[in-house]
Amino acid sequence: MATTVAAPPFAGTKRKYESGLWSWLATTDHKRIGQLYLYTALTWFLVGGLEAAIIRTQLYGPNGRVVSAETYNQLFTMHGLSMIFLAIMPLSAAFFNFLIPLQIGARDVAFPRLNAFSYWVFLFGSLVLNASWLFHAAPNGGWFGYAPLSTPQFSPGLNMDFYVVGLQILGVSTLAAGFNFVTTVINMRAPGMHFMRMPVFTWAAFVTQFLIILSFPIITVAITFLLFDRFFGTNFYEISAGADPLLWQHLFWLFGHPEVYILVLPAFGLVSEVLPTFSRKPLFGYPVMVYSLILIAFLGFGVWAHHMFAVGMGPVADSIFGITTMLIAIPTGVKIFNWLGTMWGGSLRFTTACMFAIGLVGLFTIGGISGVMHSSPPSDLQQTDSYFIVAHFHYVLFGGSMMGLFAGIYYYFPKMTGRLMSETLGKWHFWLTFIGMNLTFFPMHFAGLDGMPRRIWSYDNNQGWNLDNHLSTIGAYILVVATAIFVVNLLRSRKSGQRAGNDPWGAPTIEWSIPSPPPEYNFARIPTVTSRYPMWDAKAPHLTSGVPHSKEGEKEITVSMAGKPTGHISTPSDVEMNAEDVHPSAESLGIHMPTPTIKPMVAAFALTIPFIGLMWHKSLPVILLGAVFFAVTLYAWLLTPVEPEH
Amino acid sequence: MASAAVADAHAEHHYTSTGLSSTKIAIWAFIGSECFFFASLISTYLIYKGRSVVGPFPHEAWTNPATGQHFKAILNIPVTSASTFVLLMSSLAMVLAHSAVVRGDRKYSKIWLAMTALLGATFLGFQAYEFTSFVHEGLTIKTNLFGSSFFILTGFHGAHVTAGVLWLMTLLFIDMKRGLGPRDAINVDICALYWHFVDVVWIAIFTLVYLIQ
Amino acid sequence: MTGYHRARRLLLAALTPVFVLGLAACSDVPNTIFGAHSEFGHEIDSLTYRLLILGGLVFVLVEGLLIFVLIKFRARPGNPEPKQTHGNTTLEVTWTLIPAVILAFIAVPTIKTIFKTQAPAPANALQVEVIGHQWWWEFRYPQYQVVTANELYLPVGRTINFHLKTNDVIHSFWIPQLGGKRDLVSNRTNYLWFTPDSSYAWNGFCAEYCGASHSNMRFKVFTVSPQQFEAYIAHQKTGPAFAAAGAPVPGADTSKKGAASPAGQVAAAAPTTPAPAAEGADGIWPRDRVPKWLIPETPTPAGLTISTVNGDPARGAQLFKTGACIGCHTIQGVSPGVIGPNLTHVGSRYTIAGGLYPNDMKHLALWIKDAPAMKPGSIMPAMGKGLPHAMGAYDDQQIADIAAYLSSLK
Repeated sequence: MATTVAAPPFAGTKRKYESGLWSWLATTDHKRIGQLYLYTALTWFLVGGLEAAIIRTQLYGPNGRVVSAETYNQLFTMHGLSMIFLAIMPLSAAFFNFLIPLQIGARDVAFPRLNAFSYWVFLFGSLVLNASWLFHAAPNGGWFGYAPLSTPQFSPGLNMDFYVVGLQILGVSTLAAGFNFVTTVINMRAPGMHFMRMPVFTWAAFVTQFLIILSFPIITVAITFLLFDRFFGTNFYEISAGADPLLWQHLFWLFGHPEVYILVLPAFGLVSEVLPTFSRKPLFGYPVMVYSLILIAFLGFGVWAHHMFAVGMGPVADSIFGITTMLIAIPTGVKIFNWLGTMWGGSLRFTTACMFAIGLVGLFTIGGISGVMHSSPPSDLQQTDSYFIVAHFHYVLFGGSMMGLFAGIYYYFPKMTGRLMSETLGKWHFWLTFIGMNLTFFPMHFAGLDGMPRRIWSYDNNQGWNLDNHLSTIGAYILVVATAIFVVNLLRSRKSGQRAGNDPWGAPTIEWSIPSPPPEYNFARIPTVTSRYPMWDAKAPHLTSGVPHSKEGEKEITVSMAGKPTGHISTPSDVEMNAEDVHPSAESLGIHMPTPTIKPMVAAFALTIPFIGLMWHKSLPVILLGAVFFAVTLYAWLLTPVEPEH
Repeated sequence: MASAAVADAHAEHHYTSTGLSSTKIAIWAFIGSECFFFASLISTYLIYKGRSVVGPFPHEAWTNPATGQHFKAILNIPVTSASTFVLLMSSLAMVLAHSAVVRGDRKYSKIWLAMTALLGATFLGFQAYEFTSFVHEGLTIKTNLFGSSFFILTGFHGAHVTAGVLWLMTLLFIDMKRGLGPRDAINVDICALYWHFVDVVWIAIFTLVYLIQ
Repeated sequence: MTGYHRARRLLLAALTPVFVLGLAACSDVPNTIFGAHSEFGHEIDSLTYRLLILGGLVFVLVEGLLIFVLIKFRARPGNPEPKQTHGNTTLEVTWTLIPAVILAFIAVPTIKTIFKTQAPAPANALQVEVIGHQWWWEFRYPQYQVVTANELYLPVGRTINFHLKTNDVIHSFWIPQLGGKRDLVSNRTNYLWFTPDSSYAWNGFCAEYCGASHSNMRFKVFTVSPQQFEAYIAHQKTGPAFAAAGAPVPGADTSKKGAASPAGQVAAAAPTTPAPAAEGADGIWPRDRVPKWLIPETPTPAGLTISTVNGDPARGAQLFKTGACIGCHTIQGVSPGVIGPNLTHVGSRYTIAGGLYPNDMKHLALWIKDAPAMKPGSIMPAMGKGLPHAMGAYDDQQIADIAAYLSSLK
């Protein structure tokens, strides 16, 4: 093992590959792609939040007239689409990209260029979807776009065309990433990184990828039918031809319910990383946590029709789906208890990351309880499509997914940028989010139980809903302030945050053994892993107990590590370090990294052209040119070796 | 996405956990995904079977009550049996092509790759014939639920065969240009996996759509 | 307030202080799902209470445990390194089993209730066809050949079997105070049955997003005594009142004058003219018993005005019969249209436009003048002269005449 000195300054050592716009367009580095995902998704999170703020303003009082009914319908549809497909999923993807290779001890994902392609397709797809605003024709059929409302007869115009085309493009991105990460986790693990030694985030990500590759084809089919109905006159959802509108609902929710777990499992994974670190204890019941993830995913495919208890499926189907839905509460409950078990007996440090993680445990529980209330079909008949449901899924998606993702951002920001986020602003962010979130969504339970249907543009006075809505809107404004603080914190900390060092938190997993930000090749030598918590095994646990968030702490760890035989884990060799360059270059270490290339980006761009042609009056020349362009770029990409010849 | 995996395996010369090529794992993941894709298409076809309000129908004749126009049962099982046989034979050719590449037999690798592509193209020819004759008999994608679900299901299968033929021709082109040797076996192997999968899907379609009335 | 309602308040109030804020919001909750007024609603209620109580227990347990852990195990200076536990099989099995047992307590009554509430309706049930339209409700009583719209009369104590259908997209039929909702699915007929147990007026809503005016697709339900229901049906079967009486009923903008109105004035407004003797005989819900939250307060669009609301019903009848109205609307003995609501007894309704506006001269006239402005996406075209995309070209006086005619259709 290398001897080391105090961590040298990482900033100011610009290298060719690290600078310039070109390097970002051509990057195949999973860490940079992860950051592209992160910042793009956060941008859409702000857009989706703005949409939500307008919605809440409209609903502040009875008979609001801030926006027209048509605009309102576009806003709530786009709010749902933005938050699900353009914010939470890609935020999770940011962590998949950034973390999976680091956590399993790999140099990159299995297919780095495919990874770049996924990101660019996501970016172009999200731009296409939002371009609809420019035409004043944003999708207006609700995020689950029920047929026959989405068919040309009832939705002429471009609105639902954008929905179909946007989701189709985004699906390509998600599926490509899914195949990539499945392969990465199966095949790129470092020696000794057995499945049951994998960090729980990687497990959650791995399970999520299976949900993606098995559920996205189903929505692809549902949307393909709608696409053909809208553009080529097929009859899949055409009522006069005898179509059954429940076909769409079954296909959609067969995708849609696994989708819920696609949104929340990565957040569960992040929390399972954060809580042990700040409790100073290993995750309680690791195997059970892993099995419950798998069980949730498995059951997740058998509960879709609980979104359809009001459609009249008959008592047998209602009973079956009610029971399977209740069953899924068991592994979910186990996770909550195991997190509590992790904290029990620990020594909790309330960093911002830890507070958000605890926030997930507390708030997701509320969403889980209301979820069990919907699992009982007769009870659900009074709740579905009311504001009670809106409250429920915001507790799951905001209280669950977003809280977990915020925890992940505060926790991994230092690894991404080498700098810590401000804890002061972070705590403001947390408390305002926590208060604002509850103030926004808790009263919605009451509005729903008091009979307020969801997706209504305005409501009448004297219905008993005024105060609930006042409170919700005030809560939403608090969330706006909280998010503004977060953005300031993020931007400021990127530039001038405190230096983090390798391991600012005293964390147990191997991504903390390498510099922050990591060199392009991640690990100078691929580590050999012998336990679930190599960093804690490597250092005597008592040394990490008092780690402050400062450079001093960093020195302490580094020195200690050098002084002790680290035994199980390899740290990057620092022998070749010199004053000019902090990390030895890949070449000097004899590591072959993929050649940067813009071909994936060009291919992604080409892929969107036929779809645009389709919307642009089904222009055949545009469609064909786009298809040929795509084929050419695909060949150009695939026939070029991924690495320089060696 | 399958084709994207071909030359993109970063891990090709590196250590892998399973010892398998990453492209091979990726193609299996892709095939798993495709199973759900085709399962959804086939289920839709089956759900909509018998729900069409107007003909023509797959297995029974129909007379339009408004115009008195008569339509035969649409599906032509003898012709499709022949095309099914052709596609099955292409799988055999694919096996032989792969084995030729593995043992470094330049001559037979080219012959069998070409044969696989040719049989695939023949299947597509059958499908083109089938589609045109259906349209002439009065069944289009817009006619009824049967038309929509039939053309989309078999059309997407045909698109998969087309992609496979292009893939095979690319391999053939590389073979002719620089020769495919044992070190390329993995690339032929994943193409073969894809090709066999597309075949198996056709067997399911042929059974469920054509044979079962 | 019912006992149920109090129990729910007590229970939830114990759960979280936020509920205190919620309580204030619930001080007047005409559409609450609690304390429902049918056996179907009671079944659902009892399940929901069970779920709330069990859910409340889990909530208190988990959040209490969480808060305890956060306080007890926070890092303090000089803390020893925590004991490195990896799990505890007994504990983990326990907290797998406990939720399973709790769920069993939910699952059993759930299944029972499903089969009970989804059993076939009793044979002697009153059949009511509910047909959803973008964005209004059509109600048919096939046993009596009566067709009406947006206001539904049901007898107390008799089971009503609803046949739920839609004319276009998917809607959902929901009267929170009478039980759970059921979707109206294209190309399908759904069923829902319940027996109202008390006489009152209720709000109903479309609960499934159905396009531009989803929020404006409301309806009203009156549960009346069997005798009153018979009277209602008998009256509905007769032709329009105008044709029968042959006498014009002068309309007036009562919302300004607070004077007698043909329809639509709330009891609180204390009509000075006594109700016609016929009231009660026609089975219509008495005006003085209309709760205030039943009458919409929707503001009319800015800039849309009508210069007069004093119309001549006889002239209006003539305009109706010779105009475009007949293409879409049925008035028994007058016109056969089926695209819009049946207007045979429109004057006896309390609301118009899918429960969006009160049924008075001003709103009726504005509605006829420019329906799309009054209700986004309305399929009924504007009829006022000079309006964009207007289908008719009526001046304000003519519109007032038509409104007066319609108001007279008791």
